[in-house]
Amino acid sequence: MTKQQANWSPYDNNGGSCVAIAGADYCVIAADTRMSTGYNILTREYSKICKLADKCVMASSGFQADVRALQKQLAARHLIYQHQHNKQMSCPAMAQLLSNTLYYKRFFPYYSFNVLGGLDNEGKGCVLTYDAVGSYEKVGYSSQGSGSTLIMPFLDNQLKSPSPLLLPAQDAVTPLVEAEAIDLVKTVFASASERDIYTGDKLELVIINAAGIRREYMELRKD
Amino acid sequence: MQIFEYNGSALVAMVGKNCFAIASDRRLGVQLQTIATDFQRISKIHDRLFLGLSGLATDAQTLYQRLVFRHKLYQLREERDMKPETFASLVSAILYEKRFGPYFCQPVIAGLGDEDKPFICTMDSIGAKELAKDFVVAGTASESLYGACESMFKENMEPEELFETVSQALLASVDRDCLSGWGGHVYVVTPTEVKERILKGRMD
Repeated sequence: MTKQQANWSPYDNNGGSCVAIAGADYCVIAADTRMSTGYNILTREYSKICKLADKCVMASSGFQADVRALQKQLAARHLIYQHQHNKQMSCPAMAQLLSNTLYYKRFFPYYSFNVLGGLDNEGKGCVLTYDAVGSYEKVGYSSQGSGSTLIMPFLDNQLKSPSPLLLPAQDAVTPLVEAEAIDLVKTVFASASERDIYTGDKLELVIINAAGIRREYMELRKD
Repeated sequence: MQIFEYNGSALVAMVGKNCFAIASDRRLGVQLQTIATDFQRISKIHDRLFLGLSGLATDAQTLYQRLVFRHKLYQLREERDMKPETFASLVSAILYEKRFGPYFCQPVIAGLGDEDKPFICTMDSIGAKELAKDFVVAGTASESLYGACESMFKENMEPEELFETVSQALLASVDRDCLSGWGGHVYVVTPTEVKERILKGRMD
């Protein structure tokens, strides 16, 4: 008689893809709006993007219930920070907080694959990419989610971010203008929607620059 | 241990204007160790027909030998080369013969058919054909290849532009796959000539 295995899992994968690209004075964060489970679509209009602070936005794919819980945690901690320091959290500060929050649940993780985007203290775009347990890295661009294996090679090809191993240390910031970066993101999602069944419906873009935050939408394939 | 990920591979074929390109990586590994950096994954069946085999290398070699044998027999009997569509059906039949003990390979077939019309197709390990009008991909880097090709492909590319596109797509994709890489092998075939080129990419 073999040992009984659990056939109930606390996790589910709601699919979807997220992308973020950092520029000299802007940051573009994008995610599709499809939420699925197995081969079914739960909704075509679910936002995976959450504003954590004035100049800091997070896009997360994976298990959306865990993503929601994580967003709630971060919002609560941010509120406490604001009470104690009388200012908003900066993007690098939020980045560290997110990492610590994820690692706190190292042995029952948030099934959440995050990309954090915003402007750093000098107003330059910054993108940080995370795994489910909080390992993170500041990069010029990143993608996470079901379409990330399709999207990343193309972003590499177009943005050629230098390796962090290079000396002298090179900036992890992309030499594209805002309009070009937005176009690139739209192209990349159109391609991913063709081949990834979990990506599609609508694309939500959030663009952060010195002027503030704005949102754009684009229709994607609905099949 | 996944059998399709034992050796590592990346294969892509793309259609252009009266031409096609077929490209592969050059790594042969045994799980995490690299054994060869000049492994040939694409073979010529005849001047206008190329076959690429991804997956388990031993099965790829055996399958290749069996297919060359069958094609030579066909040439003796019919006194002509096989059409790409026919060859694809042959490969599919041979794979399905082993339905309950398959060859662990995913073939990519590319050729010029009647009136120099380019033909590409891929199939799974038991012979389910997938005919495509634009591009086909196979191997451990297939997801990355899907993304890169989908973004870079244009219709009716001339041979030179097709070569550039296939090369960029291949190199970008294998750089995100640890089991494939060590350069690339690209064949661009037009009705008049076959150009074979080696690409140097990240050697890791």
